[in-house]
Amino acid sequence: MPGDPSLHAPPHPGHCSLAIPITGERDVMHAARKARQMAEHLGFSRAQAYHVATATSELTSNMAVHAGGGTLHLRPLIDTDGTVTGLELKAEDQGPGIADLELAMTDGYSTARRLGCGLPGASRLMDEFSIRSTPGQGTRIKAIKWRHSRPADRS
Amino acid sequence: MTVSLPQFLQAHRDEMLAEWLAEWSSSSAVGLAATSSTAQTRHVMQTLFDEILSQLMVAPQDPPPGLDEHAPLCKHLRHLAAEQARHPEVATDPMRMMFSLRHLLLRHVSTWIREAGTTPVAEHLVQVNRYFDQIALFVFNNIINLRDRHISEQSLSLMELSTPVLRLWHRILLLPLVGIIDTGRARQVTDHLLEAIARHEARVTVIDLTGVPIIDTSVAQHIMKTIDAARLLGSRVVLTGISPEGAQTLTKLGIRFGDVICRATLRAGIAEALLIIGKRITAMEDQAR
Repeated sequence: MPGDPSLHAPPHPGHCSLAIPITGERDVMHAARKARQMAEHLGFSRAQAYHVATATSELTSNMAVHAGGGTLHLRPLIDTDGTVTGLELKAEDQGPGIADLELAMTDGYSTARRLGCGLPGASRLMDEFSIRSTPGQGTRIKAIKWRHSRPADRS
Repeated sequence: MTVSLPQFLQAHRDEMLAEWLAEWSSSSAVGLAATSSTAQTRHVMQTLFDEILSQLMVAPQDPPPGLDEHAPLCKHLRHLAAEQARHPEVATDPMRMMFSLRHLLLRHVSTWIREAGTTPVAEHLVQVNRYFDQIALFVFNNIINLRDRHISEQSLSLMELSTPVLRLWHRILLLPLVGIIDTGRARQVTDHLLEAIARHEARVTVIDLTGVPIIDTSVAQHIMKTIDAARLLGSRVVLTGISPEGAQTLTKLGIRFGDVICRATLRAGIAEALLIIGKRITAMEDQAR
């Protein structure tokens, strides 16, 4: 039925949530590219968008390497008055889980002979970062980048 | 008197084949249809036709769920799919060819049913349909497999195209990295670079990262390994083209490129490389005056 398309279309292409399935290394850069596009659409600065994209690639490549895949959710955070306040990343997998979270968040620790700064690095790149993991069941990571970082949040 | 279906099909074999060939070659002017006038395609179609017909004549009441992979019919169908791969713009041709044959056979089987007046009317039609479903699935799978192989071959050759090692000056190499650096690509880049360093006895290698969209820990790790390997062959590495955002992100990640010489731009990197081998670029007027 013809009608005003703006009634049904989301307000802006960058303003709708995305769920990206991660199955292997090739999906990592795709996810990072999408995260960067969304951040730029939402009005983040170039440096902030780069941070979000890099954090995304760290989280998704962890899923690809350690958990055999998972899903990445990208969600714009929008205030009741319509202003964009931030961007939320959620990485969920059904992998083996992380046995020692504190150790995994330590710089230079890696079980796969990698640099070992992916998780701690991603948490530094984002403003908020929380991780929940149950050995044998999987890992859920939620991270938020605020559009205007409050000075107290910055490291 | 009534004739059995096999007898009927046998009697009309030449007529049906001619009809199929004529219908097919007049149906389209591109792709497989265009080449169907050639003796080879005619031969393939004829063999397919006879295989299918003989299968229908002996078809059991409960046919197996799939085609026998090693049967001559499958060999010919594979050939058909391979032939199609040369005309990617008409991907549906082999399927259309098979469907037109199904249509033709159904028509003739119906005629036989009418003439013979047999009671289990639907059974024969269902059997023809089911048989062609299997054929269609088989052909479809084959085309997809061929395309997949084609795509992976293409991406391999793209990878080769996109990792050139350039000889910038005597004993200076330039490696411009563009696009995604994943494990496979990183390995190939390193291979190419090491080979070039050895061949040209390069003393300096400029690695330019301007075209790398995102440098995360795994990309950084790949680059570090490449740098280490280059050093073992006696080449110093100048890293250029890390964007301001990239630099900020790398420090937040906690990645240090240690004692690698870094320059913001390719221009500055080339100047540095020349300096290392004791050369520099100067304006011509200086010498003229």
